Amino acid sequence: MSVFMDLNLLFSEDRTRLQNLVETAAHLGFSTVAVNYVFEPSAKKKQEVPAPRPINELIGQLPVVQGRSRPIRVLNRLTVVMSDASHFRPNAPEYRRFDLLAVQPTTEKLFHAIDRGVVFEISYAAAIRDATMRRYTIANAVCLMESCKGKNVILASAAEKALELRGPYDIINLGQLFGLSDSDSKESVSSTCRGVLLHAETRKTASGVVFTMKIQQEALQDSADSEAPAAKRAKAT
Amino acid sequence: MTSVEEAEPSGFQRVVLTNASPYQYLKIRLVLEDERSRLSDVELKSFIIAGLKSLHGEVGAALNFDVLKYDEESLTALLRVYSRGLVKLWSSLTLQGFYQNQACAFRVLQVSRFTGISSLEEPLIYLLFHVTQKKRISHFPHYCHPLP
Repeated sequence: MSVFMDLNLLFSEDRTRLQNLVETAAHLGFSTVAVNYVFEPSAKKKQEVPAPRPINELIGQLPVVQGRSRPIRVLNRLTVVMSDASHFRPNAPEYRRFDLLAVQPTTEKLFHAIDRGVVFEISYAAAIRDATMRRYTIANAVCLMESCKGKNVILASAAEKALELRGPYDIINLGQLFGLSDSDSKESVSSTCRGVLLHAETRKTASGVVFTMKIQQEALQDSADSEAPAAKRAKAT
Repeated sequence: MTSVEEAEPSGFQRVVLTNASPYQYLKIRLVLEDERSRLSDVELKSFIIAGLKSLHGEVGAALNFDVLKYDEESLTALLRVYSRGLVKLWSSLTLQGFYQNQACAFRVLQVSRFTGISSLEEPLIYLLFHVTQKKRISHFPHYCHPLP
């Protein structure tokens, strides 16, 4: 069984709306979703990069994915709308709080600054909302498929409401409309998305080799007081 | 199950015919913003045709499909379409966003055949043949009408 992911659920301040979104996504069969915070830096005034809200604050109990026994996994994602590549410093500390980073280019020159391992995303909720956007979405999607030959593409919703979400097999069928083959279409919702997550982890972990984890200080205190043999006692730092 | 003559040991051979039927079946549910609204089956069919027309034009609207079963209470329907038209019909259901100014969504619950990908739901329609007698002894229609 494949793991399906929808890596673009728009963040809104309304908690019930976000809760409905995540519940619907779990009900439809998505194992992982990402809450997308859109940030548009303007040159005029310095803006703060939004901080992601912790998931347990937004949604109490994570719903179980239909067809699996685990609860849905919710990640944080930041989309920066920019026109100039110099604005973006991927190692800035504010960006480290997000699991995924995305760029929404407004000009063509940004496309030239693309590096390896980057994945393109097509969002389909606009096609559901408006008929003219439908035409643009399909036209742009077909163009993209021509240039990238159907690889390294993900299909995501960019949904604001629960009714704008569609099930994974519906999206796979939509991929066929955009010009993807059967297998490419399924990959765009499952294995390419997983590749994106793994690639994102390498950002935090020095190319995926080392990762550090904060140990609780209290745990060290306790073990020093217990009857453990001296050799096993953890060094209190 | 052994034959009366006991001449040869009877066995079963499972034959899975993926192209047994020229039709594909779709079980769908319409979810509306206002949960109390209801549609008649005629209204549903014209709604789907309008969706096909807006996405695939006149050729799409000319696509033949049938509403085999319809439950007005739960807004659940069973559609039948020729295999060639499945992608068009399904994509127009997916991209349908509004019904008379309220937001809606078509949830596709089951599809009778997936092109090359494994199904999350029901298995394929299949027939069991008794090897010695070569007679069709049972078939499993699941949620679909018997094959013609």
